[in-house]
Amino acid sequence: MIHYSILFEQLINGLVLGSMYALVASGLTLIWGTMKMLNFSHGELFMLGGFGIYIGVVSFHLPVWLALSLVMVFIFIIAALIEKAFISPLLKRPDWDVSAVVVTLGIGIFIQNLAFKIWGGDYRNVPYVVEGTLSFLGMRFAWHRIYILVMTVIVLVGFWQFMKRTRFGMAMRATSFDSDTAMLMGIAPRRIFTITFGLSACLAALAGSALAPIFSVNPWMGVVPLIKGFIVVILGGLGSFSGAILGGFIIGLSETFSVLFLPSGWKDIISFVLLIVILVIRPQGLLGKKEW
Amino acid sequence: MVKKIHDLKQWQKSLRVVDPWSMGVMFLILALLPIFISNEYYLNILTICLIYATLASTWNLLVGYTGILSFGHQAFYGLGAYFSALITIKLQLSPWLGLLAGGCFAGLLSLLIGIPCLRLRIAPYIAIATLAFSEIMLVICRNWVSLTRGEMGLWGIPTFENFSVLGLFDVQFSGGAKISYYYVMLAIFIITLLVIYFQLSSKIGTALKSIREDQDAAASLGVDITRYKLTAFITSSFFAGVTGSFYAHYLSILEPGAVFGVAEMVEVVAITLVGGIGTFLGPTVGAFTLIIGLETLRMVADYRMIIYGATLVLLILLMPNGLLHGMTNLVLKAKHFFNSRKYTGENKV
Repeated sequence: MIHYSILFEQLINGLVLGSMYALVASGLTLIWGTMKMLNFSHGELFMLGGFGIYIGVVSFHLPVWLALSLVMVFIFIIAALIEKAFISPLLKRPDWDVSAVVVTLGIGIFIQNLAFKIWGGDYRNVPYVVEGTLSFLGMRFAWHRIYILVMTVIVLVGFWQFMKRTRFGMAMRATSFDSDTAMLMGIAPRRIFTITFGLSACLAALAGSALAPIFSVNPWMGVVPLIKGFIVVILGGLGSFSGAILGGFIIGLSETFSVLFLPSGWKDIISFVLLIVILVIRPQGLLGKKEW
Repeated sequence: MVKKIHDLKQWQKSLRVVDPWSMGVMFLILALLPIFISNEYYLNILTICLIYATLASTWNLLVGYTGILSFGHQAFYGLGAYFSALITIKLQLSPWLGLLAGGCFAGLLSLLIGIPCLRLRIAPYIAIATLAFSEIMLVICRNWVSLTRGEMGLWGIPTFENFSVLGLFDVQFSGGAKISYYYVMLAIFIITLLVIYFQLSSKIGTALKSIREDQDAAASLGVDITRYKLTAFITSSFFAGVTGSFYAHYLSILEPGAVFGVAEMVEVVAITLVGGIGTFLGPTVGAFTLIIGLETLRMVADYRMIIYGATLVLLILLMPNGLLHGMTNLVLKAKHFFNSRKYTGENKV
């Protein structure tokens, strides 16, 4: 008989992991929604978020909120530059879907190895944003995990409202619906693309910086979140924001609960099998629209 | 009228998959290469080039010609490698049989993911589903320790048996005789390319291309989508499996990440795109360029992968249709430039 406290702890862990997957995946789904491409450098932007918070907090002893805002600004600028320089020239090419994959892969390889060259392959530790633990009914939770959970909820709800209510959000949704018609309505799709790319990079970097204290920071930390992020967006339905969030929590929870009955090495198989099974039942993903 | 027939011939020529002559010349050059290059180190690199050229060509059949964006091709490479290695180690079968068995095993298991993929219509769904399949294979391979030894890897995989051709000369396989491996891989490469060539120039090829262009239109014209898609899947996985099996017997050691890793997929995608996706010889050009380029970059050890990433981005941006096309264009432009200079006088008349 498994004690309820273990189940409850796993639930919290699952929600924390799920919220990270949701953050990474919502960035990916945002890019697919507007630009119709898979961004394979997303994981590296996640990694840069982790290194950014490390440099800010550990090297420069900045307060967390300041370090985090600086990281967001930097990542936004870097991502916008990447989009302008390397992705935007590809936009009108017939082999757009595959060439964008290789270009973003190349950018990913470049950033990853540059990070390795600059910072080395050491595993670096970042202190918790909020120290201490919360005791509740005889269970203990690190405050940091609760902080992650609350932050994710605030960011995602805020982002959703931003998409829904602001003029810019409307322009973004219009572009993703039909970029040619949006252009006729006076929206500049290219600018929308650049800003979307920047915002999605910020979401990835935010996830990276939040997870940095739990997993240590290193140049390869973005590889697993990238693959998991793709699994999540496809599971939830590509282009669907709520699908990415739902998918993130499904994968996060099923992975953490799987350790109760599976040896840890087999844990990774859960999300992959889940994806294929769901695609067999629902080829467009859980909340995806049928595009044919 | 004569002009029209001429045009028809031109048109038929443009429909051709590849000029058979240029394919023949390429095979000949590859077959004669070891005469000039006898250095074991260079032969090893050339063999690796051929491995990737074969893999990329099979991937190209699936992606470039059929439009099934698979990111799980490394699964079949790995399945062929592990199956062949295991049956030769545990059952003491001949590695020559292993080549065939590895291919068949990979081709058979490709149905496991090929059939679910038939229902998926948007490219990224297929891409990630196939990627998930290959990751499942990787996890199984890592954790089924009693069979695959997991991360410890398999070693001592038997190499090909020596044989003699008509009793005239002996072909030996050992660490010091890379040349025989090179020719075995070349044979696999040539057979793969010929099979793909004949598939593409037959009715199957037309069907595959029609599926790539518009699946619904193809279906309405009576193209059996399921059959042709699975044909492409099985063909490409079979040869990926054979290549994997060769890799296992060539290196004699095998560990899960080396064959099932995402890095293998990245390599194949990059090679195909750089060479020219949907062109018959593009993947081969891409393989030789990138593998030899990557090898040359060993001089700048620390910066190797940084330069590699940057080159990849620049090549895709600057050579939109791949190296092969880019170079042909350059040659044509140069020809045109010289011709126009030579005949300016005549043209005016």
